[in-house]
Amino acid sequence: MDLAFLLEAFWIALTGVPLALLVTVVTLMIAVPIGFILAVFRVNNIPVIKQLSIVYLSFVRGTPLIVQIFLIYSTIPLILNMTFQKYQIDYDIFAIHPVWYAFIIFSFHMIAILMEVFRGGLSTIDQGQREAALAAGLSPVQTYIRILIPQVFANALPNLSTATIHLIKATSLGYAISLQEITLRTKVAANVGYNYLEAYIDIFIVYIILCSIVEFAFKRMEERLKKYQGLSE
Amino acid sequence: MLEVKGLSKAFNKVDVLKGIDLSVKKGDVVVIIGPSGSGKTTLLRTLNFLERADAGLAIYDDKEVNFNRVSKKDIQEIRKRTGFVFQNYNLFKNKTALENITEGLVYAQKVPKEEAKVLALKELERVGLVDKQDHYPFELSGGQQQRVGIARAVALKPDIILFDEPTSALDPELIGEVLAVMKGLAEEGRTMIIVTHEMDFAKEVADQVIFMADGYVIEQGSPEKIFKHPQEERTIQFLRRLLPEDYTVYL
Repeated sequence: MDLAFLLEAFWIALTGVPLALLVTVVTLMIAVPIGFILAVFRVNNIPVIKQLSIVYLSFVRGTPLIVQIFLIYSTIPLILNMTFQKYQIDYDIFAIHPVWYAFIIFSFHMIAILMEVFRGGLSTIDQGQREAALAAGLSPVQTYIRILIPQVFANALPNLSTATIHLIKATSLGYAISLQEITLRTKVAANVGYNYLEAYIDIFIVYIILCSIVEFAFKRMEERLKKYQGLSE
Repeated sequence: MLEVKGLSKAFNKVDVLKGIDLSVKKGDVVVIIGPSGSGKTTLLRTLNFLERADAGLAIYDDKEVNFNRVSKKDIQEIRKRTGFVFQNYNLFKNKTALENITEGLVYAQKVPKEEAKVLALKELERVGLVDKQDHYPFELSGGQQQRVGIARAVALKPDIILFDEPTSALDPELIGEVLAVMKGLAEEGRTMIIVTHEMDFAKEVADQVIFMADGYVIEQGSPEKIFKHPQEERTIQFLRRLLPEDYTVYL
């Protein structure tokens, strides 16, 4: 075991954290609202959208993430190429930074997962409170925004935490599309002296630290919400 | 104040309300009694459009609405004029007792926040819960939650307050505190329509008692008339089952 390299590679692994977090945050910013809206469509049995979202969900859940990554990563350039040619746009598709692909791929994956998370949360909506808000003169939109949605999010928080951690770990598969995140950077550093074990240990530790911090943050958020839920662990 | 004519409602082709006529004068306390499944709660809910009636007319003071073609604006307007107290309190779980009351004031009636707080505290004082203003619903007993529910309805200054079995979900020892608040409101001259199984309360507080069964108003009149001299067989049967000692004379 090369202790000096173990230490050195740890810092290299850390340099991949910002990109991993960027992908996580952007993905959530895209997937949370869309997943929520699709969940609302599904619980309200909106035709067509409901059926499509079920097919989409089974696709995401029924295939390995790495296969989804390869599939989308190969499809997008094809589509872009055709579009660019059609409209005669002069742009080198292969110059597109892989992080853009990562946003699309992980959003595609997470929308399905978050749709299920919010569907669970929406099923906890208390119709009585909805009626009470309407009876108090609130509009249906005010009722959702002020009373129901905050409670849906509170109820969905534990599952949202699990989904976020799943996403952080999933960004490690970004190495497959040359995304310079934690895993790829460290592995590349290990290529020089074949110090793969040290590199893998460092990657392992960095993910554990990262996920623990995020989990802790969600826990704190949950505790703050417990204030009005009266839940105790 | 409120006239209802020919109100009907069916759920899945089962008629629940079969042409209800109702007249409520300002300051009246109308108590609706009757066996379960008689349509009492549905009647109350249609008056506030929590349930949509199939046919009928309602005249709220100057405002006349036809139940089967009512606009969203009319619904909003009528909900502003009516308060509703629920059997299961239905307090907003993510809001404190005080916020439960200010919510409708601030966001539906556009009362400035500070002013709404003053109004809400006044209502909490009436129901004896000023010291619980910052408590969330889960920290309150059923009776306290229902008192906040009543304060929430009253604070919006409705012309009529509708009570849907306000004490049915409460433990027996908590019923008294809620009825006391309601009695206070009746004494202030508030117009109220109350669905309840509390017969003593009805006798004491009601100006008008309505007995409903199978979607019809079977009999209505003063508490004296309904409880002491019921005319209809169904009314007598119902009261006898509920209060056997008082009605042995009709056996």
